[in-house]
Amino acid sequence: MKYLVLLPEVLVAGLAVILMVGGRFGLFPRASRAYLPHATVLIVLVAFGVELWAGATVSAYLGGALVQDRFSLFAKAAALLTAAVVLTTADWAAEDSVHLGLAMPLVAAFGVMVAASAGDMLGLWAGLEVAAAAGVVLVSLRRPDLGLRLLLVGGVASTLILVGLAFVYASTGNSDLIAIHDVLVGRAPTLALAIPVLLLLAGIAVRAGLAPFHMAILPVGFGASPLGASLVIGMTAVAAGIVAIKLASALLPIPEVYAPYAQVVAVLAMVGGGAAALAVRSPRPRLAYLAVGQLGWVAAGLATHYRSGIGGSLFLLGAFAVAATCGPALLGRAEGGEPAIAGLGALRPVRSAGFALAILSLAGAPPMAGFFGELSVAAALAQSGNFVLLGLGLLGSVLSIAAAVGTLRVLYIQSPLEEARRGAAAALPAVTGLSSLGAAAFCVVLAAYVVFGYPIMGLADQGAKALGLR
Amino acid sequence: MTLLMAIVEATPSPAPVPGAGIFTSPFLLSLLIWIPVIVATAIAFMPNPRGRYEVLIKQIAFFANLGMMAVLFIAYNQFENFLPTMQYEEKIPWLPGIGVTYHLGVDGPGLLMLMLSGLIGIASVLGSLGVRERVRSYFCLLLLAQASVNGAIVARDMFVLLVFWGASVVPLALLIIGWGGPRRVAAAWRLVGYWGLGTAALAIGVLALYAASGGQSFDMDVLLKASLSPRIQIAISVVMIIAAATRLPLFPFHGWIRDVLSEAPPGVTVVVAGAASRLGAFLLLRTVIGAEPAAGHLLSPLLAALAAMTVGFAGLAALRSVDVRHAASYLAMVPGGITVLGLAAISPLGIAGSVLSMFTGGLAAALIAGVCATLAERAQSRSLLVLSGLAPRMPNVAWLLTIAALALLGVPILSSYTAEVMTFFGAFKNQPIGAFAVAAGLAVSAIALAVLLRRVLLGAPNTDAPGVSDASLGETWFLGLLAGALLWVGLFPGGPKIPGTDVPLFDPGLLNQMSAGISDIASQYAAPTPPAAQ
Repeated sequence: MKYLVLLPEVLVAGLAVILMVGGRFGLFPRASRAYLPHATVLIVLVAFGVELWAGATVSAYLGGALVQDRFSLFAKAAALLTAAVVLTTADWAAEDSVHLGLAMPLVAAFGVMVAASAGDMLGLWAGLEVAAAAGVVLVSLRRPDLGLRLLLVGGVASTLILVGLAFVYASTGNSDLIAIHDVLVGRAPTLALAIPVLLLLAGIAVRAGLAPFHMAILPVGFGASPLGASLVIGMTAVAAGIVAIKLASALLPIPEVYAPYAQVVAVLAMVGGGAAALAVRSPRPRLAYLAVGQLGWVAAGLATHYRSGIGGSLFLLGAFAVAATCGPALLGRAEGGEPAIAGLGALRPVRSAGFALAILSLAGAPPMAGFFGELSVAAALAQSGNFVLLGLGLLGSVLSIAAAVGTLRVLYIQSPLEEARRGAAAALPAVTGLSSLGAAAFCVVLAAYVVFGYPIMGLADQGAKALGLR
Repeated sequence: MTLLMAIVEATPSPAPVPGAGIFTSPFLLSLLIWIPVIVATAIAFMPNPRGRYEVLIKQIAFFANLGMMAVLFIAYNQFENFLPTMQYEEKIPWLPGIGVTYHLGVDGPGLLMLMLSGLIGIASVLGSLGVRERVRSYFCLLLLAQASVNGAIVARDMFVLLVFWGASVVPLALLIIGWGGPRRVAAAWRLVGYWGLGTAALAIGVLALYAASGGQSFDMDVLLKASLSPRIQIAISVVMIIAAATRLPLFPFHGWIRDVLSEAPPGVTVVVAGAASRLGAFLLLRTVIGAEPAAGHLLSPLLAALAAMTVGFAGLAALRSVDVRHAASYLAMVPGGITVLGLAAISPLGIAGSVLSMFTGGLAAALIAGVCATLAERAQSRSLLVLSGLAPRMPNVAWLLTIAALALLGVPILSSYTAEVMTFFGAFKNQPIGAFAVAAGLAVSAIALAVLLRRVLLGAPNTDAPGVSDASLGETWFLGLLAGALLWVGLFPGGPKIPGTDVPLFDPGLLNQMSAGISDIASQYAAPTPPAAQ
């Protein structure tokens, strides 16, 4: 029974392998295209149920390499739910391969789960790399050039992280996160620790596509298939966020070595993301920049180096995961700039409602899930007296909301393109029972995040507590 | 003065109104927020093939508002005005991790604002009956905007207030972009910019208050009663004043009003000018005057100066306008200035006048903006160089414009008279310079109104002007409702009584109902009793 907790990982990873192998060797009949997404979503939902049911057991596995605690419960549940919703909402007509399209989000979710339950630095790194690799595969299917770019940028990020981890290991003599935390208690900040942490955070920022490193990652998301963009903009960033939270908690005894970096990154991301979102007009880039802005709030929560701030970041990361990952999938094939989504509210009402909620949530518009997450981080910033960061964050949110209003205007107010002028880049998302259900489920999930904020935030807070934060 | 004091300080009668107590609900205030949200959601997903059910959608929106008004009327009648405490309270833990509670409640000023919002809601739907494009989206957004305004009024938790305060920006901006005039996009961006700035300022103020009071709760009962040092009170109050000034608006944060009120469709104009913008004054009352007495004392001259600049600027700008809707937009700033002057008076009479002025000013601002929007539509021109001698051809509009002008100036019979007299009498004692300056601004506004009326209604008819038609039945009803409310409260501020008795008829009187809660706020500023009188 003890290992029942690992069943979700087994289910997700096993299913991904079956889908990849089956797809590669043609084991699935052609007709399976119709029901394979349904079956996959069902299995992911079973994994989600198992996680919620059995995940409350606190224990360690594989000699402490994997740890099941409230933090991992929260993060794994969020990853599984996100994977289920994104697979349900996906526009399969817009994907290059159904099998890989189904498998890669599962691989990314598996990576997030590994990072969330990692007990040591190796697990963190491995989880992040697995999650990022899934994005590379999907991007490469459509645009090998962008795939190569993502691989190279990922390689740089991976190098920075590895070097940073190695330095931290050298400084503390441990790779175990709790042991690192214990070693650092009572220590004074040193340059030897501050430099590797800078490398680590830079690597994570590159992976997450945080400003100013978003220039390397985001263009990749713009050219990928919808699910590819979902993984680059959403899941990989979530994995990076989880790694950042876990590392920040390990380094918590000496916040001076990471908090200033986190503050700078947060300011750049919040304000830069909002301003960039306002400057662009195409829906997917705008969504990507809004996601960057919201990730800035996650970084701001880390900079508080308090349990409430990190709990707020975790709560926000859950809302971010769902909105940023599902947003591109909801957009489907309508990638060709603003005209592609003009009047989509009338043509695809459920999908448009979902996309509008995703945009608003990422912008932090009240009363969306993202707003609650950002405000919980803001409350922590206020508690810590960091009003400059708070003010700049609010400025970024105002810019983001203005950008979101622009997209809503196009979705709901502008007239749709004439069919004759609608090229391949402005194709309407296909309407299927599953995708409509997925879009509706997405709306319900975002609404539930607000309505059931009490237990969800409680779980996030317990997650922060599980990291050893007080 | 004695009569005024008698009106204000009259001990409210606990005598129940006939019909009171027949209906109670523990979720009365939630109904006012969530009914429009549920109706909006239902409308959004209602099938509407080729616009077949557009009339039905309008009817649903209208009857939803009428139903809410009925609920509100019950709340109004059952409100126990002899109790200074919050009433109809609802309290459910929401995000206990950071101390957020879904806490709603209403006192006298809140009830007044709710009545205003209810009336404006019905008027806005009536004023929107002419909408022909994307009817479903329009009414959906309109209901969401109304829900957010109601939520901001009844919120007793700062977090909840912030949610609803910010939530009104997006639907209103979309309504302007989607159904506004030629410069609608610029108008919407200005609204988003200014109100976004206000929301950010409010967020900073709320979070600063939260941090200064120990970071345990966002509940107003905790935050607004925390004992803070004068420096912190002043810092927080300045931020709150900025937030309020962007909404009301006050000079120099008024940059959105001309474009928004002149480009928005009439139904949206009344919501913005009438209810949504009054939230600014309500915020000042709650968070500055009602909660931070030290800052209230120190910053009251600043408030009086802002009020004077607002009224003066509005009058001068209206005088210089050559566009009837621009003129109306500037004139709609006048009531806000008077409300703030009443708050700056920090005296019981001034604060009571200010609270009443939120209601009357909201109606008057909505009426002037709405009637000028209708006039411009019906006369097919906005230019004051073109519009002339319209009174014989637009009798309904002419009467309504005249009532709007009189309401702005506060002439007897109209409720704004009571509010302005109370405000000025309260203000002349504590803020004499400010009161004189506001009065001077009001005189300029009177000149601007006189010029407007003379040109538009009484001048020689312009034979080159486009064709003119009088207001439709729906437009007359929506504007008449606002004018009627101004007249009703002006005639019966204490409510009509059963002849020969003191038992109120169906209306217990707005002046009676609003008094609950004001005495608590005003008591912080009461002048110490002279020793000889002790």
